[in-house]
Amino acid sequence: MKLLLTGVNHKTAPVEVRERLSFNPTSLPAALEELKRCQGVLEAMILSTCNRVEITAAVEDSNEAEKEIVRFLTRTGGIDAESIAPYLYQYRDQEVIRHLFRVASSLDSMVIGEPQILGQLKSAYSTAKQCGAVAGALETILTRAFAVAKRVRTETAIGQSAVSVSYVAVELAKQIFGRLDDKTVLLVGAGEMSELAARHLRRAGVRRIFVTNRTHDRAVQLAKAFDGEVVPYDRFREELPRADIVITSSGAPHYILTRQDVRKVIAARRNRPVFLIDIAVPRNIEPAVNELDNVFLYDIDDLQQVVDENLKARMQEAEEAEAIVEEEVKRMISRLRVQEVKPTIVSLQQRLEAVRMAEFERLGGKLASLTPAQREAVEALTRGIINKIAHGPITELRRKAAEPDGLQAIEVIRRAFRLDE
Amino acid sequence: MSIFWLRVAVGLYGVGLAHAILVALRRRSPIFTLALGAFYVGVVLHMVSLVEMTVALGRLPLDNFYESISACAFLIAVIFLFVYRRYQFTGLTVFLFPLVFVMALVGATEIPVKSWSSADVRDAWLLIHVLLVLSGYAALLLAAVASVFYLLEERRLKRKARKAGLFGKLPPLGTLDRIITQSIGMAFTLITLAVVVGSVWAFIESGRDWISEPKIAISLITWGFYLVMIYLRTSAGWRGRKAALLVLTVVFCSALTWIAHIGLRPLLVQ
Repeated sequence: MKLLLTGVNHKTAPVEVRERLSFNPTSLPAALEELKRCQGVLEAMILSTCNRVEITAAVEDSNEAEKEIVRFLTRTGGIDAESIAPYLYQYRDQEVIRHLFRVASSLDSMVIGEPQILGQLKSAYSTAKQCGAVAGALETILTRAFAVAKRVRTETAIGQSAVSVSYVAVELAKQIFGRLDDKTVLLVGAGEMSELAARHLRRAGVRRIFVTNRTHDRAVQLAKAFDGEVVPYDRFREELPRADIVITSSGAPHYILTRQDVRKVIAARRNRPVFLIDIAVPRNIEPAVNELDNVFLYDIDDLQQVVDENLKARMQEAEEAEAIVEEEVKRMISRLRVQEVKPTIVSLQQRLEAVRMAEFERLGGKLASLTPAQREAVEALTRGIINKIAHGPITELRRKAAEPDGLQAIEVIRRAFRLDE
Repeated sequence: MSIFWLRVAVGLYGVGLAHAILVALRRRSPIFTLALGAFYVGVVLHMVSLVEMTVALGRLPLDNFYESISACAFLIAVIFLFVYRRYQFTGLTVFLFPLVFVMALVGATEIPVKSWSSADVRDAWLLIHVLLVLSGYAALLLAAVASVFYLLEERRLKRKARKAGLFGKLPPLGTLDRIITQSIGMAFTLITLAVVVGSVWAFIESGRDWISEPKIAISLITWGFYLVMIYLRTSAGWRGRKAALLVLTVVFCSALTWIAHIGLRPLLVQ
């Protein structure tokens, strides 16, 4: 049995190629059926996400099956083999295991450490399982990949810090207020980024969202998008004391909130803290506001800086994660080898048993005079002899299987006992 | 008879204390109207006591410490009622109700009572006092630790530094603020009760002279710090960094008085 993985991802192929090769959830079972029928394919799984399309298979013969799978891809994608060749990557055996472990652990993702890929891989596996396309070595490897991903999550901090500006804003809000379910957000201006931040905050549980904008219609539209309330632009200052989080992204060419304004707001709030997020350029809030007690002001650069530092930290964690993956790959390979050696052990036992039976038959006449008890004793004696003989090679097979040069030793034993004849 | 009316007045002022404790612990008190009513009646009885004493003595009762502090408590109470009628300044009650209560309590200890009915009662009374003080200190220490964490985390968020400091990832500021508020409320409650129990114990134990014991004077002054702290926190709206610094200052002061008291006395004697 050999392992094979063929596919494209965001690093090797542009979206035009990825989208043509991709499978949607409804077409997946049929595709798996077709794949199963390919010559030499024992097990198969298709992983299709917006960033990657990969086919993993357990096959009898790598070379033949590889061609079959590429043909399958070109057929379903409607592309000719030559034009996808430059984008395809192909892994075999040990590389397949490593790649699957890295994908599951989100080390091969566009944003390293993002959590979605594991879920996507799990659902690809369960679809394949439902179609009966995985049941054997590939299944063992995939379930192990999920365990490896979990180990990477718990032993490294790879997925812990936020790596987008809007998520960083939510993380900071949580670190300032502790809980968000009784908090109120005020959006001043309607930019794409502030909309995203508000959406994340809503999902994180904030209670109320107020929206204000110079163009009233845009404010209404935005408020509708996440169940907010509109505040007329000329009156938004009156609402400021009620807002715990203020996100500004107005196109005003000057500061719309000065230190003096915010000082009054804080006094009106009886010093309850306020988190100001200024994602406008030029900035909407005077930077000196951050010097006031209980006021936390972050502008777009501050947020971006946190993102950059978090990304850097993720890279460091990724190195640790790679080491874990490497260790797990080694462990998986020796486990598979031990499984692989099982047929050899069985044929060795069958071979010796066959020799024993043949000898019994040859001596059939001479043994006919034995009483049942005597016959039983001879049976036990011969069985004992072959078991003793088999014990050495079997132990050696199991031991060698886990080692890198194990195949040679297995080969020698197979030849010595003429197991392939 | 005058001392009887004063003691009843102290009991009525005690309702005001309960109100202040509720505010410290839960930020709102359902018994404010009751406490204010009791305070009014307390002031009237307090006045009755002072008038009776004046009549009995043939002069104003301002002769000794007890008489002066009782008169002083009465004046504060009267002034507060005027201020309250005019400005409806409820927040001030958190500070003044306990203050008037403790001052009147001290004033009410001018005439010694019979000593303890049994040694067991005396010891149990003292044990309760000590347990209250120690629990109060524990709560105060928790507030101090939370305040240090608050200051560190606040600084990190203000400076926009990502790196967690010496203590790793700290709890959110909001959580720390809640811990501080709750633990100083608890500390104030426990220590106030300890002061009341302790004063009464000392009064029964040593009669008229209990107040001149430096230990007790210092404890009363330290309690005054807590009162100021609770007032600033609950009514004057001190929050965040300022409040954390306030807690640390108060803890530092009480540690100082404590050390001065326990640790340095042997040195001073030498």
